Amino acid sequence: MSVEEKVIESVKTRFPEDIIEAKVKRKNRVSISVRSNRIYDIGLFLRDELGFNHITSVSGVDYIDMNELEVIYTIWSIDKKILASLRTKIPRDNPTLKSLINVWEGVLYHERETWEMFGIKFEGHPDLSSLLLPEEWDGPPPLRKDFLLPETPQEKLEEKIKRAGGW
Amino acid sequence: MLEKIRKSFMNIKLLRKVFNWGRAWSLWSVHLETGCCGPEDMARACARFDTERFGTLPFPTLRECDLIFVTGFVTKKMAKRLKLTYEQMPEPKYVIAIGHCAISGGLWWDSYSVVQGVDEILPVDVYVPGCPPRPEAWIQGIRMLQEKIAKEGLKK
Amino acid sequence: MSVMKLSMGPQHPITGHFRFILDVDGDLVLKLEPDIGYTHRGIEKLAEKRTYLQNLPVIERVNSYCDSAGTMLGYLEAIEELMGLEVPERAKYLRVIAAELNRIASHLYAACLFSVATGLETMLMWPINDRELVLDLLEKLTGQRITYTYQTIGGVRFDMPEGFKEEALKRLDYLEKRTEDYYKMLLWNHTFHMRTKKVGILKPSDAIKLGVVGPNLRASGVKVDVRKDEPYEVYDKFDFSIPTGKNGDSYDRLEVRFKEVEQSINILRQALKDIPKGPIKKWAPPIVPKGEAYTRVEAARGEFGYYIVADGTMKPYRLKMSPPSFRNLIALPHLCKNVPLGDIPVIYISLDLIPMDVDR
Repeated sequence: MSVEEKVIESVKTRFPEDIIEAKVKRKNRVSISVRSNRIYDIGLFLRDELGFNHITSVSGVDYIDMNELEVIYTIWSIDKKILASLRTKIPRDNPTLKSLINVWEGVLYHERETWEMFGIKFEGHPDLSSLLLPEEWDGPPPLRKDFLLPETPQEKLEEKIKRAGGW
Repeated sequence: MLEKIRKSFMNIKLLRKVFNWGRAWSLWSVHLETGCCGPEDMARACARFDTERFGTLPFPTLRECDLIFVTGFVTKKMAKRLKLTYEQMPEPKYVIAIGHCAISGGLWWDSYSVVQGVDEILPVDVYVPGCPPRPEAWIQGIRMLQEKIAKEGLKK
Repeated sequence: MSVMKLSMGPQHPITGHFRFILDVDGDLVLKLEPDIGYTHRGIEKLAEKRTYLQNLPVIERVNSYCDSAGTMLGYLEAIEELMGLEVPERAKYLRVIAAELNRIASHLYAACLFSVATGLETMLMWPINDRELVLDLLEKLTGQRITYTYQTIGGVRFDMPEGFKEEALKRLDYLEKRTEDYYKMLLWNHTFHMRTKKVGILKPSDAIKLGVVGPNLRASGVKVDVRKDEPYEVYDKFDFSIPTGKNGDSYDRLEVRFKEVEQSINILRQALKDIPKGPIKKWAPPIVPKGEAYTRVEAARGEFGYYIVADGTMKPYRLKMSPPSFRNLIALPHLCKNVPLGDIPVIYISLDLIPMDVDR
């Protein structure tokens, strides 16, 4: 049994109810999909018992067709050399999730960015304030799929040419 | 009164030429990097390309500077600071827009946080295209600005 | 005792595109709060609108500051993993050569900034001049000075030009000899010791807890390098070591970078010697099959992670980047507690944060 399979096995035996899906994706990669209300406990288990200690990223994905947002914590284990992605799905209308700041201290800016870009509220996060966007931003969170970018710069260019008095 | 005397002095053609010559050859630039042409700013100021030969020296205090390089794209958040920096510089002051992003938005033409061309907020004297422009292009930009300054205030 | 709020940057010779909000009591900085976002372009959003191939120049400019070749590798790795594409051997070597040359250029640039922060102006001129030699090589190979778009899906764009190998070996010899001068000029300099030793000590346990990566993590004594942990491209064929520091202070963070330059020279020599003959590019379809991939590469500033969700079209459904500087940023407020104001530039520069990388 490989190290990856052992990790999956131990998570499955400890939390049989709360794991939706857990599998080995390829060498060095495992994916654990969990219920959103137990993510904190599973995070603690991953850190303390299995040695996943080095936070790599926190990202969100907007599945607009299913009306769901997915939050993915990717954590690297320095000893085991495995990257685990701990993922959970939350409803798109009222996205709240318990912050994992007490599990991995390094998620401070990652969670803040995810809040800003997807509008996911992390309960217990000390400082959810604007990080990257311009100060006067009042649109929807930009990485959601219903925020659309302009299709063509044409109008702008014509305006500029007119102002400059032709080519 | 002083202003009047200054103005009448400036109308003398020879004196004006001397002033222009002095201005053109001591263009000190502000250190404000807005985009990713930053390392080329370092390269053009240091040993190999050495724009100090043409009197352009990066200087930390903006109160003693008369040139601002807009190095690359300008985000909306940076635009306010850029304008503030420009306003604090003493007259006369000049702006060189470096790179496609500073000229027209470039690669970020559909971005939600990038200003589409720095000429929407500052009066630009010289445009230097490239992504990023080579240091030689920067030098040409500086030379073009010098030529422009040399003709300033003189009848054609 | 009164606490004053001080704003530092973005128009400041040291901070670059950052603003620091400092709580100062006299000369003592109690707290530092970084204000970022001055170079935020929304690359992750823009990438969803462009095709995979159109994304190459966009993604490269995440870190076009010095390390575009190393940054792009991760994106290509992810796409090739999804496609199941095997890149020709020669192309892999060429990619590694570009990335390692870039790493040298990047670390030399870091040394320049470091000497500015400590007020040693001569040392600013020396490495930046030597960096030009590396950039010349890259220009010969790729046709550009700092933004290359050299590596592409399925291989690289151009083959090695004639005479490149000899020229590169000559310049690498020179650079190796030159490193000795750097030690004499900067690293063994008493003034430099005074400014950097025991300044901004990052303990290994803290570094892991905060998720710090790259040379900053290795300077704290933690031996983590993606090139060794999960070798990508052809890194498993080279014989090289991972330099680590002892104390984790600002001095160690620069020393590790210099040692990495030596290792890069070592790798480059092996790569130039062993490079096989063959094709440099394989045709790749424009459509990426459905799936998701997370890949990591070791860019000059640390581990760069890419997470791609593909939905079977020509455009990515979601592209998440996890750049090294964004992850190192958290160390800055951690280190800048109760330090003199004069140490702030040294600590900041020693982390080698690039704002473009932080903001994306």
